[in-house]
Formats: sequence, C-alpha cells, structure tokens
Amino acid sequence: MPTDTNEYETVQGADQRDFEYRIECKPDFAYLTVQVPAQQTMKIEGSAMATMSTNMEMKTKMKGGFGRLLGGESIFINEFTAQGGPGEIGIAPGSPGDMEHQYISGGQEIFLQSSAFVASSMGVEVDSKWQGFKGFFSGESLFLLRCAGQGDLWFNTYGAIIEVDVNGGYVVDTGCIVAFTSGLQYNVTMLGGYKSLFFSGEGLVCRFSGQGKVWIQTRQVGAFASWVWPFRPPPPKNN
Amino acid sequence: MQTSIEGGNSFAFINVDLDPGETVMAESDAMSSMAADLDMTAKFNGGFFKGLAKKFLGGESLFVNHFTNNTSGPRRVTLVQNTPGNVRTVELKGQEYCLQPGAFIACTPDVKLGVKWAGFKSMFAREGLFKLTVSGSGTVWYGAYGGLLEKEVDGEYIVDTSHLVAYEPQMKLNIQLAGGLFSSFFGGEGFVTRVEGKGKIIIQTRSLSGLAGWINPRL
Amino acid sequence: MQIEITHRPGNAAAKVHLEAGESITAEGGAMIAMSEHLQMQTSTHKRDQGSSILGGLKRMLTGESFFLNHFSAQSAPGEVILATTLCGDMMEYQVGGPALVVQAGSYVASAPTVDMDMSWQGFGKALFSGESAFWIKLTGSGPAIINSFGAIYSIEVNGEYIVDTGHIVAFEESLNFEITKAGGSWLSSMLGGEGLVCKFVGQGTVWCQSHNASSFGQALGPMLRHQ
Repeated sequence: MPTDTNEYETVQGADQRDFEYRIECKPDFAYLTVQVPAQQTMKIEGSAMATMSTNMEMKTKMKGGFGRLLGGESIFINEFTAQGGPGEIGIAPGSPGDMEHQYISGGQEIFLQSSAFVASSMGVEVDSKWQGFKGFFSGESLFLLRCAGQGDLWFNTYGAIIEVDVNGGYVVDTGCIVAFTSGLQYNVTMLGGYKSLFFSGEGLVCRFSGQGKVWIQTRQVGAFASWVWPFRPPPPKNN
Repeated sequence: MQTSIEGGNSFAFINVDLDPGETVMAESDAMSSMAADLDMTAKFNGGFFKGLAKKFLGGESLFVNHFTNNTSGPRRVTLVQNTPGNVRTVELKGQEYCLQPGAFIACTPDVKLGVKWAGFKSMFAREGLFKLTVSGSGTVWYGAYGGLLEKEVDGEYIVDTSHLVAYEPQMKLNIQLAGGLFSSFFGGEGFVTRVEGKGKIIIQTRSLSGLAGWINPRL
Repeated sequence: MQIEITHRPGNAAAKVHLEAGESITAEGGAMIAMSEHLQMQTSTHKRDQGSSILGGLKRMLTGESFFLNHFSAQSAPGEVILATTLCGDMMEYQVGGPALVVQAGSYVASAPTVDMDMSWQGFGKALFSGESAFWIKLTGSGPAIINSFGAIYSIEVNGEYIVDTGHIVAFEESLNFEITKAGGSWLSSMLGGEGLVCKFVGQGTVWCQSHNASSFGQALGPMLRHQ
C-alpha cells in the first residue's frame, strides 16, 4: 500500500508550552498539529484548519479579539473546543513557508505582522489597535499585532524563517519582517535616497536598534502578488 | 526501470531511467527534460474519461504521454507535477487506490486509470465530484501542492476537502459543514470531508485554494 | 566575499558576507536584510559606467527589474541577505570558464567583476510568449548567484539532450541548441502539452529547474480574484 518516500523535518514541541504540538514538513510547507486537552479551546486563523478529530467544535467569533480591516482579509478567528475528550487539530496556513512557536509569559511582548498569525491559546491577547505602529508599513497593506499575556503563539512565514539576534543595529526590508520582540527600537526609512526609492525595488526598510530578536522571512508577499497578477481569470461576462 | 525521487520535499521530481523497450506514462506537460532519442507520443485518454469536460477532472488533461525507449541503452526522462510539493509512490499488486483528480503524475504501463463518481451526496464539493482510481499492477507517482503526510484513521476523521490527496478504497467519504451554518461560511472553512473507516489517508499541507485565499486580498 | 546559500531547494536565500571594501551587485528588490552600515547605490548597470538608460531598458525587457543595486561594505565587513520573488532554489556559479547564458528572471546577483550582456539573442523569436524571451550572458570572473523555480539539477550533455523550454535556468554557451517539437509529430507535441522543447547538442552543462513557473501560475489562476 502507500509507501513512504522522503523523511520530513519534524519538530516535536519541547519548549515551554501549554498544549502538545508538532510541526511537520518544515521548512517549506510547515504544518502544525496540536493536541487539545478535553474541554480546552484554542484560537485559529479563519480557514487554516485542515484536519481535526470529530469531537472538535468550531465557533466563529467576529474579530475574536482583533480585527483585520484590509480589503477582503478574513476578520474571523475560529475557536475550536475539544468536547467530551481530548482532540487533535491540524493547521495549514495559506502561504508556503515555515512556522514558529513562541511561549509568551512574564510581560514579554511579540510584535507580529498580521497575516503571520496562525493560532494561539486563549491566554494570549492579540491587539491590533496599538498606535505605536502608525506609518510602519506605509505602502504595504499590513498591520502589526501586539501579542502579550500567557500562552502559546504560533506564527508562520511566507518563505523560510531567519532568526536574527540584534545587538546594536540591523536593516530589514519592511515586507520581510515577520515578528520582533520588545526591546528594539525601529525607524522606517528609505534606503539610498529618492532615486533609489523609486527605482531600486527595495521600497522602505526598517532600521532596528537595541537588543532583541527579529524574525524575517525569505520571500515577500508583494512580489508574489505582482508575479501572480497576469494569471488572474478574465472578468465574468455579463449576460 | 530505475527510478528515484529527487528535489527534496518541496520541489520533488522523478528521474525515470528506462531500459530498452520500456515505457512510462505521464500526465500532460509533466516532462521537465529527457534524452533526445526517447520517443514521446500523446495518447487520448478518452477511453477512461468518456468525454467528460476537463473542468470536472480537476485539472487532468484528456491526454497522457507515453515515453518509450526504442534505443539500445538506458535513457532518462525527468517528470514533475505542475505545483511545488512532495511526491509519493504507491505500488499496486492488483488492488485499487483512490486519488483526487489532479494528484496523478505518472505510472508504469500496466496500471489502469479510471474515473469514478466519488460518492458525495452533496453538489458543493469544492474539489470536484470525481475521484481517480488506479488499479492493476505497477507503480503510480502522485503528488500535490505542499508536503504530504500519512494519517491512520480508525473510526472517523474530518479533513478539509482541499487537503485530501489519496485514500484507500474502503474508506467512506461524506461532505458536511465544518461548524454551524454561520461559522462554516464566515469562518472560512465551508464544507469539510468526513472520512470513515479503517485505513490510511494522505493529506497535503497546503492547497491551491488556500494559497489563492492568502494572495487574493492583495490583488 | 563569501556566499552561503540556505534553505535549499524550497525557499533558498543567499547570505553574502562582504569584507571591508568589497561590494556586490544585485537585482532590484532582492535585498531582504543587511548590516546597518552597508551603503546601497542604484544604477542601471555597473556602478562605474554611469546611468545608461539603454542598459536599464534592456534589463527591463528581460523581466529583471529596471535597475541594479550595489551594496558595499566600506570600512568594516558586513552581510547582505538576498532572496527572490518565487519559492525555489539558488546556486552560486563561478564565472570564469565558458560564458554562461542565464534565463531572464534567474539572475540574482554577481560580483562587480562579472559582466552582464543583455543583447544575447540566440533563441530569437522561436519561443512562444509566456516563456521569457530574453537571456543574459555572463562573462568576466567572479561569483554569480542564480535562482530557479524548483530544484536546480544539472545535466552534462554529451551528444544531445532535450529540456522543456520552461525548465531551462542556464547553460554554457559552448552548447548548440535547436528549438523543436517534443513528440514524433506536431500534433503529439501540442496535445501532449509539451509544445516546444529545446534540444541541446554538443558538450557542456545545462542547469534545469524541476518545475515550471507558468504551469504553476496556470494551475493557480482559476482560483484567483477576477480582473
């Protein structure tokens, strides 16, 4: 019957966590499987559920604690509860790439690009209204989320993840920032003068300073949108 | 025939080294490169698909390419699917196996391809109402967008319809709503497949519809 | 200069470590992160040759961005991380032997000592639109970074070998080639979905990508938002 071919890179969650989890098919098509204890609930980004045991009950919350306001992006967060016993749920984001788990506790904050949110336990608060980000992504239609509280946070990338420990300074293209910890200051600027802004293709960059971690992704959604643009189907004909 | 799957798990491709006289069959446009003196003929697959419109086949073409080695030494053809992702094989020894249309890449000549009604009672199955059955004896290569994971089911399990790739024929599939009526549509999950029985299923860790859903807001 | 390519073959990125005084030229949009003290200059071609509009226009036609960026580490070493539009593989190629002809869109970066020639017209109008019709010839010496959609695999041609046109990444200029039909007849070629293929003749290396970007785009197309 079916034969196994390749070995995958699988990470069994071994760091501090509330729920048992494993991440398979790293680093290109990372897939998260979470074991949800009986009567417990977790939050999952709309339409990311791929498989689940039949006792998982899904409820959709409007906004679910944070809103996504951008043209068509899902503003629904689904809450899945394991009824009558433990359950299992498999989660697949839409973009190809990697996934990372961080356990938030003790006043830590992680700032996350909005489309990178995959799932979290109920104790993690996710806030999109923090004003500190004004102007951060001008030109990119992305928002930053502030994640704090206590619990598991899973986020994904488009492309592979590179984790950078910043100690002093670092420059990152704004479309490649996935997440960063508090303790870093940042400054969004152009790189190289006005001529470069228009013609370099680099757009805006973010200069980080201070001490902390930045997660960057090796692909940019804007470039993919431009590439895919010519393949769109023609407008439907009116009768 | 010597074959190997290269390219890692994300861009898996198949190297088929044909001995003199051997043939391998592959879906349309699967050839990436090949020895110049291999013969390639497109054969109409209509006997199996009986004139069904292409859109019901979930992307399978009406033609299958036959690559034949009519030389006196081994020759290579390199085959690939149209999306990035992993590739798996199934060795058939007379039994049947079920694939989502679109998952088929290539097979050895004694494998029979057929299309069957997938048995869904609902008209809303997003992935199409048909399944591809492979039977006979030989090797079948199949794949999908994303990584491929095997899951043992004993009882019942829910799979989002765009993530199910292959399953053993004794498994029963049914369509149901993901949650309540509001949740199913606004939560983005819509309809899901309920798999019942005892056997193995193969799921894909990404889907083209998920990818489109991710990029559409930015178009 | 040291180049480290990570996350092959799925989402490859290139970490380029520059010593003080070194620089690297990369296509517009390829930089994803860099050390804070690196300088970037934009030009249409090589930095010392000034802004040639013609050079920039040629590059726009190849499907490459209009301009090139030059990253340099002035007084201290630094790093720049480069990546590309689509998921895929990357490789480092040492230019120096036979000239390398690279598919438009597969060029990522090269040392300033590598020359880029946009006027290579070997395929002429033989390829259908949908496949890139422009190619870049690399000569000179030094490292170059090439990317692909799919895993990169090489074929040592000794005689003849056929590669589907959408799967060619780069090849040594010493090879001859012929655009031809894939099957025994034109009908087979078209119905079989293969269309035109490239038959390489002679001796040399061809680098292929396992997958075909326009096939992927066409598979995804029907699910995208309408125009």
